[in-house]
Amino acid sequence: MAEETKPDETLDVRGEICPNPDVKTMVKLKKMAQGQILEVLVDYPLSVERIPGNAEKNGHKVLKVEKVDGPNHRIYIEAKGG
Amino acid sequence: MDPLIFLGIPIGLAFGFALQRGRFCMNSAFRDIIVLKEYTLLKAVGLAILIQMVAFAALDMAGVITISPNTFFWGANMLGGFVFGIGMVVAGGCASGVTYRFGEGMVGAMSAVLGLILVGLMTTMGAFHPLVVALRGATTVTLADGANLTLANVFGIPHYMLAFGIAGVALIVWAIRSMRAKESPKKEQEKVSLNTRIFKKGWGWQATAIVIAIIGILAFVASTAAGRSYGLAICGGYWTTIQSLLLGQNLIGWLSVMLLCTILGSFIAAKIAGEAKLRAPAPKVLIQTFFGGCLMGFGAALGGGCNITHILTGVPQLALSSIINGAFIIFGCWTLAYFWFVRPMRNL
Repeated sequence: MAEETKPDETLDVRGEICPNPDVKTMVKLKKMAQGQILEVLVDYPLSVERIPGNAEKNGHKVLKVEKVDGPNHRIYIEAKGG
Repeated sequence: MDPLIFLGIPIGLAFGFALQRGRFCMNSAFRDIIVLKEYTLLKAVGLAILIQMVAFAALDMAGVITISPNTFFWGANMLGGFVFGIGMVVAGGCASGVTYRFGEGMVGAMSAVLGLILVGLMTTMGAFHPLVVALRGATTVTLADGANLTLANVFGIPHYMLAFGIAGVALIVWAIRSMRAKESPKKEQEKVSLNTRIFKKGWGWQATAIVIAIIGILAFVASTAAGRSYGLAICGGYWTTIQSLLLGQNLIGWLSVMLLCTILGSFIAAKIAGEAKLRAPAPKVLIQTFFGGCLMGFGAALGGGCNITHILTGVPQLALSSIINGAFIIFGCWTLAYFWFVRPMRNL
């Protein structure tokens, strides 16, 4: 990996049921300051597909979606801030 | 045992595969309209209904299948649908959603299925059964000749005309809307092989809808051949399987075989995509999903079916019972989703 993304906060929503990974990510991002980076750990496939799109729709910037192993993914998002 | 029930094997495997790849869950489809303003799955559900509406009408005319609407008992349809809709939000998935996630290895979905089976059986044959008999009995409406109500026979319109008409209007509206929609800049498409698109990535809504609809049509034909004149369903398959095991009666039919293969099909899909893994939420959430499953079991047993029986298979047959039951599933879903997700998010 060329460059390591350093998150300011980490949100672990592995094992959570639909739609909590999506909702918790959006709530967390809303509370973060501009430019802060959120790392989301998620293993629910539908949320892996939808969180990036929803974050972008709300003005946040998706930096990276990384497959870890099996259904586990790591998503890095830069908050747009209040 | 009729060997034709084994036609449920390929249908179930394909259905489970498509549910998992298409993430086909009506709880997400309806709930996320208000929670996330997300319409993708809703479009998949709508298109699958329309395709089946046309195909069922055509196959009925050709004498291959018989349109078989469920009995309209408005009180049981409304209450059952509403409780089912609340239950699927609590469980985090509808009947098809928890079934495909069962196959994926999500323990929360498995506990929802347990609740759905337990209270479903209590309602179809146990302690809650008298309530079902009373409410259905008091609110059943049929035509004078005893036929079950559909939008077509209520208004005296030939079935095929109404089915083709609704699909035609939907097609025209869709064509006009897509012509009016501004050309959105095409995203740079990642070049991926067909193999990756089918087996590794989640499907787009159009592909999901078309595949689910084709499976729904084949299911109706196969199930009819095995002596059951209906298409896809879920809950009844769980109940008949467990009832057979508990009571030692052989109630295993096409639907049971199809359902067991659905779970297997979604496991296979998840395994190939690298998404299969046993994973569990916190104990509190497991109890929550179990309770949600209980509500779904009660609602489906009272209203005569889950979201698949009513919305995916009943609405395309224009069954009044399914249209009302489906509307109340959505109403129940939105009611709880509003208090659980929409309001708290707004108050941030």
